[in-house]
Amino acid sequence: MVGTNLTQVLCDSDFCNTGWPTILTHLSPFGWASMGIAFTLSLSIVGAAWGIFVTGSSIMGAAIKAPRIRSKNLVSVIFCEATAIYGVIMAIILMGKMEDPPASDKIEVYEWTTAYFAGYALFTAGIGVGLTNLASGVSVGIAGSSCALADAQNGSLFVKILIVEIFASALGIFGIIVGIIQSNMAAFPTPP
Amino acid sequence: MVVYSKPGGIATFNIADGFVEALVRGLRLGFLKDMDYRAIHQCETLADVRLNLQETDYGNFLAEVNQVSPSIVREKALEKLVSEFEYLRASADQPLAQFLDYITYDYMIDNVMLILKATLNNPNTNIVELVKQAHPLGQFEDSVLKSICAFENSPKGYAELYQSVLIDTPIGKYFARFLQEESTRSAHGASEVQSLLEEMPTTKLENMLRKLYLEDFAAFCEELGGETAEIMVDIIKSRADAAAINITLNSFGTPLNDDNLRSTERKPLYPSLGYLYPEGIEKLALVSDEAALASILRTYSVYQTIFERHQRGDKTIDDAFYEREVEINELAF
Repeated sequence: MVGTNLTQVLCDSDFCNTGWPTILTHLSPFGWASMGIAFTLSLSIVGAAWGIFVTGSSIMGAAIKAPRIRSKNLVSVIFCEATAIYGVIMAIILMGKMEDPPASDKIEVYEWTTAYFAGYALFTAGIGVGLTNLASGVSVGIAGSSCALADAQNGSLFVKILIVEIFASALGIFGIIVGIIQSNMAAFPTPP
Repeated sequence: MVVYSKPGGIATFNIADGFVEALVRGLRLGFLKDMDYRAIHQCETLADVRLNLQETDYGNFLAEVNQVSPSIVREKALEKLVSEFEYLRASADQPLAQFLDYITYDYMIDNVMLILKATLNNPNTNIVELVKQAHPLGQFEDSVLKSICAFENSPKGYAELYQSVLIDTPIGKYFARFLQEESTRSAHGASEVQSLLEEMPTTKLENMLRKLYLEDFAAFCEELGGETAEIMVDIIKSRADAAAINITLNSFGTPLNDDNLRSTERKPLYPSLGYLYPEGIEKLALVSDEAALASILRTYSVYQTIFERHQRGDKTIDDAFYEREVEINELAF
């Protein structure tokens, strides 16, 4: 066939795709931002829930034969819950940066570049916070389960293993710090 | 073959098994320690023992009885074990539940053999007494055990016993395989079905049942894979080898030791798994006295040490095997 441009060969109309870059430019920035908010919330909750069931089942089982560990070990559950709270905080911050989309007759005068920047920033901040909280929640859960089992055997081990859990939940804090800084610069322009 | 889900990795194990695992760790903590054994050692009477056990996990199990005697201690200790086991079994998820069930099949085989032997030796034995003696971990319904006493020792009797009673129990399938193998073997032309089966000693039945049970259990553990497979298969293989060596030892004085009978009668009794399988079993099938047995075992150092103890006479071979089993079971924790 004559012609070297792929789009001329395949398709001639105005509505054709030009290839892979259209995925990035033709998805609405509002869509990107909303997905980011969804991911931050849901992935953090998955991490927290995972951690809680892992540590909760061990605490229940170990407390049958060693009832003294019941109250102390709820600290592990609280650490897991903290990752869920980070997710909620981040989601609320990100939602604060959203604005209404432009009306259909004002589309040409809208500042799309700022909007795209904001959309990408909110999406990646959301994914970042979500995934770090997922990892942190699972890790706190597994460490918490071992903490309960070790505490049941030998009470002096509790405080030492708690330090491991503190490091594990610090991972979630790293995520939310970077996420907040990243979403700081993002701002959807007000609709004209 | 049912497909069981494998026990999870570090992040998912607790979904199904976290509670039971923590419970097992707690129960293990309750074992009597060196200190407790020493204290018991110094006691004069059983009442003293009860006093000394107050601090431990065993504090309450003798609480209700007034007159302490060895049989009551054994009964109460078994009750404690059974209630803890039942709790574990009730809280367990598949495939752990099936694993715990396999443990009970061993005791079920024990109980069935106990009642069979008692009935064959003395048809008027008191059934209720026997049922009380049965190991509680291998519980059947009451009706099952009582109807075992009613059957006769003839080929039709065995088949009837299977059809009416054992077919519903979990060990029914081992009994079915046993009946099948007996009928194929006698069809290969030794003599008529009737006379062979009539002379069937109950020890043969017990051997076959145990062999089939061990093979089944090993297959189940292999399916589960991972560490369960490694450790459990090790334990089951040691059991199988102990059974093989015992069969050989016990057959030395009996007709099974004759040259012509060795390969047809004795060989099928050996389990088809274990560290002695297959080369050791081939050699074991041909030995005729203890010296030859000792020379074969020389290549397997663990069994050699056990057998030497037996030959020196300071421990019976059952005790020595039992010690070894306790060691490897401990490692499994």
